[in-house]
Amino acid sequence: MTNYLIRRFFQMALVVLVASMAIYFLLWLAPGGPLDELKLGADRRTRFSATDIQRVAEYLGLHRGPVWGYLAWLTGEDWMDIVPENLWPVSDLTHERAPLQRPICRENKANCGRGVLRGDFGLSWYVARGAPVGEVLLSRLRNTLILMTSATLLSLVIAVPVGIFSAVHQYSRLDYLFTTFTFIGTAMPVFWFGLMVIILFGGNQSPIYKIFNLPYLPTGNVTLVRSPLAGSVLNILNAKPGSWIDIAVHAIMPTIVLSLLYMAGWSRYMRSSMLEVLRQDYVRTARAKGLIERLVIAKHALRNSLIPLITIVVFQLPGIFGGATITETVFNWAGMGYLYVYALGANDYPVAMAFLFISAVLVVIATLLGDILYTIVDPRIRFS
Amino acid sequence: MAVAELERESLGSVREESLSKIVFRRFIRHKLAVAGMFVVLVFVLAALFAPVVAPFNPYKQNLGPAYGNPSAQHLLGTDELGRDVFSRLVYAARLSLFITLIVNFTTETTGTIVGAISGYFFGWVDIVIQRFVELLISIPTLPLLLFFSAMLRGITVPGLPDEWSQAIIISGVLIAFGWTGSTRIVRGMVLSLRGQEFTQASRALGMNSFQIIIRHMIPNSLAPVIVGLTLGLGNVIVLEAALSFLGFGITPPVPTWGNMLQNVQERMWQQPWLAFYPGLCIFLTCWHSIILVTRCGMRLTRASSVDGCPTWRCFRLPVAPDCLLGLWWRRRR
Repeated sequence: MTNYLIRRFFQMALVVLVASMAIYFLLWLAPGGPLDELKLGADRRTRFSATDIQRVAEYLGLHRGPVWGYLAWLTGEDWMDIVPENLWPVSDLTHERAPLQRPICRENKANCGRGVLRGDFGLSWYVARGAPVGEVLLSRLRNTLILMTSATLLSLVIAVPVGIFSAVHQYSRLDYLFTTFTFIGTAMPVFWFGLMVIILFGGNQSPIYKIFNLPYLPTGNVTLVRSPLAGSVLNILNAKPGSWIDIAVHAIMPTIVLSLLYMAGWSRYMRSSMLEVLRQDYVRTARAKGLIERLVIAKHALRNSLIPLITIVVFQLPGIFGGATITETVFNWAGMGYLYVYALGANDYPVAMAFLFISAVLVVIATLLGDILYTIVDPRIRFS
Repeated sequence: MAVAELERESLGSVREESLSKIVFRRFIRHKLAVAGMFVVLVFVLAALFAPVVAPFNPYKQNLGPAYGNPSAQHLLGTDELGRDVFSRLVYAARLSLFITLIVNFTTETTGTIVGAISGYFFGWVDIVIQRFVELLISIPTLPLLLFFSAMLRGITVPGLPDEWSQAIIISGVLIAFGWTGSTRIVRGMVLSLRGQEFTQASRALGMNSFQIIIRHMIPNSLAPVIVGLTLGLGNVIVLEAALSFLGFGITPPVPTWGNMLQNVQERMWQQPWLAFYPGLCIFLTCWHSIILVTRCGMRLTRASSVDGCPTWRCFRLPVAPDCLLGLWWRRRR
């Protein structure tokens, strides 16, 4: 096991390294970026000169070119003063060699970028111009965690019993009902489902308020921006902006949409896993020795049928960090996924790169975690 | 003597039925699947004959009846620029279905071939391919797709109108990250097939690796590929719509089912059908692809399996179709 873990660890490191290279170099090739705006300019007076652009490039660290840029992004720039001058890249703007460190770093070593490996993801270009990317991500993390954990837990709590019931009562009327629901849930595009839910339950124009005169739900934004109107759930609960009640009420619709969709898939997964177990010999043995069916299910079948669920729960880990991109966008939920889409659309590459890099790391860790958990839960699986 | 005669008689009386006939017969029996096929067929026909079906030009702006209610003239009303929603839906079907078909056939074909090669040759070929696949899988799909679509937005394919060149770029991105699923499944099946007697026999008979892959490995691992293909029809259509909805796919004024949902938020309580119908088209296509899999997919293997083995296990599918559903679906939240 130790050998296996060590080998896996090196493989993981390699995968992360290659993924980080892919992310960086592809974004380097991508058109757009903060320098492109500067190169536009209708006439001579408003256009930036080559030296001006070079100065901005040096300020942002973009003058380094892809290879040095990648090294600086990954390992930081504080060690780059040891690089001899003849290795510095030639700027295509001024045709001169510029030092690899940014001017701000040359002035004071404390201002140097420390690189992704040491947890420094650089500065944001657009979303929060000049702010450290780590801080930007952290500011959104709470919202994503709230949404994703509640949706994950809610759907697990419902999906597991539903799946077990469907399997135990296969081809019963309720099983067909759940199956139909699963297919509908699976086929439903989340952005459409979200919009429909908003139309039905959100805002004071929605039928739930206009026709049935029931309190309506807020349609977007994580917290209140102005005091709630009469008839809103928030008004009834007398929510203060930023309070937990406020956030919870705002989370109702996205959580329900997301968990209904997760549930659709997971209950199906649970069902087939349970069916598989019920077909096993030891279940037949348990029945043959006269155990009552309830005990057969609870003691013999249930535990084993939960094993494949590990994959799902563990792979939810990167999802819990990364958020549900589309759901967050539909509900204007300021979480990670929403931030990522915004950053991509605005060409804020440091933010997008950090998101992708952390996601990749989490997926790799989740894979390993899943494999290890399998060996713990199922002793038949061994790694050599 | 009598036994032999009886046997001859019974053997003679059983008419051999071709696989396609069996599949067709079983397919017809399932009403919901037939209905689904019919709906999808309607979409395909509407897309093919869009200029005939659509009563209006989908790009023609008409500021008079902007946000018009459904009427005899405008079946599904008009959008914010007074364009006929029904005509736009019909034209949108063209791009959406084109992308789905292209992406699916290409990914499943490449996936099968790469998976068969990876599984059959094993050794370092397998290691290289599998590590590459793992690398691709290690980044979450939707952010990755968004990332590439954002990156390639500016590129145009020369000699094509704008929308088709965008469609090809999007298809390329979806293909580049879509082939890994079927690769892994086919590889798993080929790994078990290559050790079996018939493979050894064909090798002993002098078939080379290429022939064995084409004649034995691929046909024998086709069942899950067909499942993947059918499921993919729904999956890709939703993925493409998601990309377009988030603004990284096909850009307006060219209509697709996804980007028609982009700007509906503003008036969605007054004109809910603007949000309803494009989503409904996506939903129906996707739903029917799932129905086809879960109903006819089962039937397909049942028909072609030996001993009437009713489950998927006789095909050594690494996962049951239900699980596949769950796994495929995981990609697009």
